[in-house]
Amino acid sequence: MKTRGLYIAISLVSLIVLPFVAGDFYINLATQVLIAVVFSASLNILVGYAGLSSLGHAAFLGFAAYICAGTTVTLGLPPLVAAVLALAGTTLLAAIFGAIALRASGLGFLMITLALAQVVWGLAYRWVGLTNGDNGLTGLTRPHPFGVSLDSPAAFYLATLLTTGIALTVIAILVGSAYGVSLQGTRDQPRRMAALGHNVWLVRWTAFIIAGFWAGVAGLLYVYYQRYIHPSVLSMATSAEGLLGVIAGGSGTLAGPVVGAALVVILKNYASIYIERWNMLLGAVFVLIVLVMPDGIVPGVRRLLARRDR
Amino acid sequence: MTVPALLIENLHKSFRGLIATNDVTMRIEPGERRLLIGPNGAGKTTLFNQISGDLLPGAGRIELFGTDVTTLPPHRRAHMGLARTYQILTLFPRETLLRNVELALLGLRPGRWNMVRPLARDRALVQEAAVALTRVGLGGLADRPVAALSYGEKRRLEIALALAQNPRLLLLDEPLAGLSTEERETVRKVIADIPRTTTVVLIEHDMDIALDLADTVTLLQFGTVIVDGTRDSVIADPRTREVYLGH
Repeated sequence: MKTRGLYIAISLVSLIVLPFVAGDFYINLATQVLIAVVFSASLNILVGYAGLSSLGHAAFLGFAAYICAGTTVTLGLPPLVAAVLALAGTTLLAAIFGAIALRASGLGFLMITLALAQVVWGLAYRWVGLTNGDNGLTGLTRPHPFGVSLDSPAAFYLATLLTTGIALTVIAILVGSAYGVSLQGTRDQPRRMAALGHNVWLVRWTAFIIAGFWAGVAGLLYVYYQRYIHPSVLSMATSAEGLLGVIAGGSGTLAGPVVGAALVVILKNYASIYIERWNMLLGAVFVLIVLVMPDGIVPGVRRLLARRDR
Repeated sequence: MTVPALLIENLHKSFRGLIATNDVTMRIEPGERRLLIGPNGAGKTTLFNQISGDLLPGAGRIELFGTDVTTLPPHRRAHMGLARTYQILTLFPRETLLRNVELALLGLRPGRWNMVRPLARDRALVQEAAVALTRVGLGGLADRPVAALSYGEKRRLEIALALAQNPRLLLLDEPLAGLSTEERETVRKVIADIPRTTTVVLIEHDMDIALDLADTVTLLQFGTVIVDGTRDSVIADPRTREVYLGH
């Protein structure tokens, strides 16, 4: 336990020091990793702790990003109002999508989440008056919270790091709470949970909404990082990458989505420099992970370490 | 006339033409110990599943403590004081014994929605869960994972989850199945010690122990009630001998 605290402290310090020693390329890469971490961590609430595999999580990231960009650029609303609107709207969308998707479970749930996300994706492409279609929305500037400019890569990285830290802490607390333990109960033994007095549907629906909210937070970070939004962010590829991050890192663990999301983003960035078909490499790496550590990197490494200590 | 703990009227259930429950009517008084017997496939567990709300009946009515619950979902029935165990173990395999019982206790408390407070810090809950485990003789194993338990211990944990809730009506589905002679005695004592404020309906094939625990007996065959009455009258009935005890 003591060494674990030490590791966390060391990585935290190096994460804070990073923007002062690294170049802009690496700072931006790290920012992308953090955004992907928030996204995967939010999806992990559903996939890992609720046992509900979704292929439509990009809908919430993209929806928040579009509301934020749209209200700021088109309507000229201040960033704080735009952010609140984006998160409120995304949470509401998650509530509606959750109510629909939770009519099914397992593969049916997966397909419904995918279908709903494709609807949002299609709207972003076709509702040109609202979204500017394939051209995307441009002209977004980063906010100045408390008078601090986030225009430089380093400043934006630190703001993202802070947000990621808050997100992971809140999710960690959630998982250990009475609600979080009950949620895992509905994953492992839904029938028993109902017989014990837990409203399984409501527990899952709540988890869906919470997951949607945090995906919305990732969406805000994303849109302010890019200063631009295009319908492709709503595509299934975004959802699938998030899901890959969760599964590769280890679903149902706190560190899993962190490791997995970092792996996906870094592979994507580096591999795309050297080979055109980087998706193939990504696929090969994941096949390897699934073969060697079927339940993900974090549980896999943990098991290896336990074996070594024995 | 007192309000019955459980009232079943003209209940019907069939699965694609296979009749599992056929016009079953039953009345169980508060505090009663009722034993359900019958050959395999008689529809005993199907009846339990309808009482607990896992299955909706095709026709008929179910009343718990005077309230119609026929279409109520399982969790609402649990909040009315109904608890059950399963013939096939239905535990939380990744969790410790303590966590298992905590989930049972949380089921009836508003605190189950708390998203902030670490569950491990809830001392009162931990204490109560430990007491429930001690009640079935598993007090010393609280921090073990379920996977580390023997089959007999798992059976007792199965009962502990239901008992922890101090239910008004408890449905026990073959609590002795697969247990050794000593383990049977342990579980028999656990069931015998349940206070009379809890009404108990029991499905069991071990007649030596089960008849001893029961006040009244209902014999089912092909989903139909064949004989129904006090223990001695049902044992004495020639139809019981023919359908069930005679082999």
